[in-house]
Amino acid sequence: MSSERDSSGFRALARPWLFPLGVAGMYGLGIGLAPESTYRALQMSGSMFWQLALPICLALIMMVVLNRFLSPAVVTLFLGRNAGLKGIFLSSLAGILSMGPVYAWYPLLKNLRDKGATDFHLANFIGNRSVKPVLLPVLIVYWGWYFTSLFVLVSLAGALIAACIVSLFCSHSQHPKNDRM
Amino acid sequence: MKIAVPSTEANLDGMVENKLGIAAHVLVIETDDMSFEVLNGPSGSSRPGAGVQTISLVMDMGIQVILVGFISPDIAKVLARQGIEIVPQISGSVAKAVTSYMDSRSSNSKLKNDELPSRESTSKDQWIAAMKKSLRQFQSILPLLVGVILLLGLFQGFVSKQTLLSFFSGSAVLDSFWGACMGSVLTGNPVNSYVIGKNLLNIGVGLSGVTAMMLTWVSIGLIQLPVESKALGIRFALVRNITGFIVAIIMSVVVVWFAGGRI
Repeated sequence: MSSERDSSGFRALARPWLFPLGVAGMYGLGIGLAPESTYRALQMSGSMFWQLALPICLALIMMVVLNRFLSPAVVTLFLGRNAGLKGIFLSSLAGILSMGPVYAWYPLLKNLRDKGATDFHLANFIGNRSVKPVLLPVLIVYWGWYFTSLFVLVSLAGALIAACIVSLFCSHSQHPKNDRM
Repeated sequence: MKIAVPSTEANLDGMVENKLGIAAHVLVIETDDMSFEVLNGPSGSSRPGAGVQTISLVMDMGIQVILVGFISPDIAKVLARQGIEIVPQISGSVAKAVTSYMDSRSSNSKLKNDELPSRESTSKDQWIAAMKKSLRQFQSILPLLVGVILLLGLFQGFVSKQTLLSFFSGSAVLDSFWGACMGSVLTGNPVNSYVIGKNLLNIGVGLSGVTAMMLTWVSIGLIQLPVESKALGIRFALVRNITGFIVAIIMSVVVVWFAGGRI
């Protein structure tokens, strides 16, 4: 009885890791078939893991602070359905200021959604990640003022349009934590 | 703590209804995690006894506080004897009303408990609980994240940039499409997309394709889709990525329209 429970517990723990283990298996296969490309792929993955370290730490710290201080009511107030222009501004600003790969921010976005943020604001956050103030000098040097201004403007507008469409198609799935209602 | 609030809508964005007897919905909110249950109210019938009937319903659910616009003083007295706190003259959104109530409550209890040593340990416990919760939330997404990064590395290691470049034909719309595809599968620092974009432009790829690639580089992730689905739901992930992809193509054509001759 106890061993049955142990094995089902192990299965539950192991199941989420099947996907990464499967991909690792593909690397194993690659080493035999195309070692050079596989080595290059490993280097790419290593560099991505390295790049991820800082944003993940940042996102984790923010999650702890949010979990400690931010109640769902406050999130609903600032990023809820009635947040208005304030909500658009805040989600855009947060997206613009967020650094690193987008997948580092998914746990934080999930947390915000559980606390009452709408799909509109989450989509707007992700869409606005194309605009990075610290990288604007590089963009200007490579592309000039005119293209940079246009690029920033279309990025902001595009994020807003996409967020509106997401909100239209996903509005029914709001507040998953409150399914009890 | 459970708080009952009569509301115009079946969610926290609804407005606090003036009376329990005319509310379309009554929200019973658990303040620990702000989860709530919705009871159907008398819905504007305002028949005699509708308010009392609603009160007896929410009392069965173990509520401790009622936030409402108005309540009869006689009923308030009876409820106070039952240990239920009535907070009248409440208006605005339900979320705001509950937050204001909780804030005023915590500032009152702060005044009362300022010198108690147990407060420090409570705060420490709250930090630990917040940390545990964050780690749990992160842990649930970690395996997929690892798998996706390994998959991205595999893609970038095996598919050369030259192979991707061979798709660009010179047509604005088609180039936008392929540029958006390229940006959706590649990932990394946005600076890379600026540099790669400029190089692509120099070797003859159209501005629309390059702009679409730069627009999708950070915000659209085809390979990251499983992680996004896991965190925010498959519907959200699909709709957001498809919409973002189409919007990027349209916006890149807009950029060409305005800047075509100047770049």
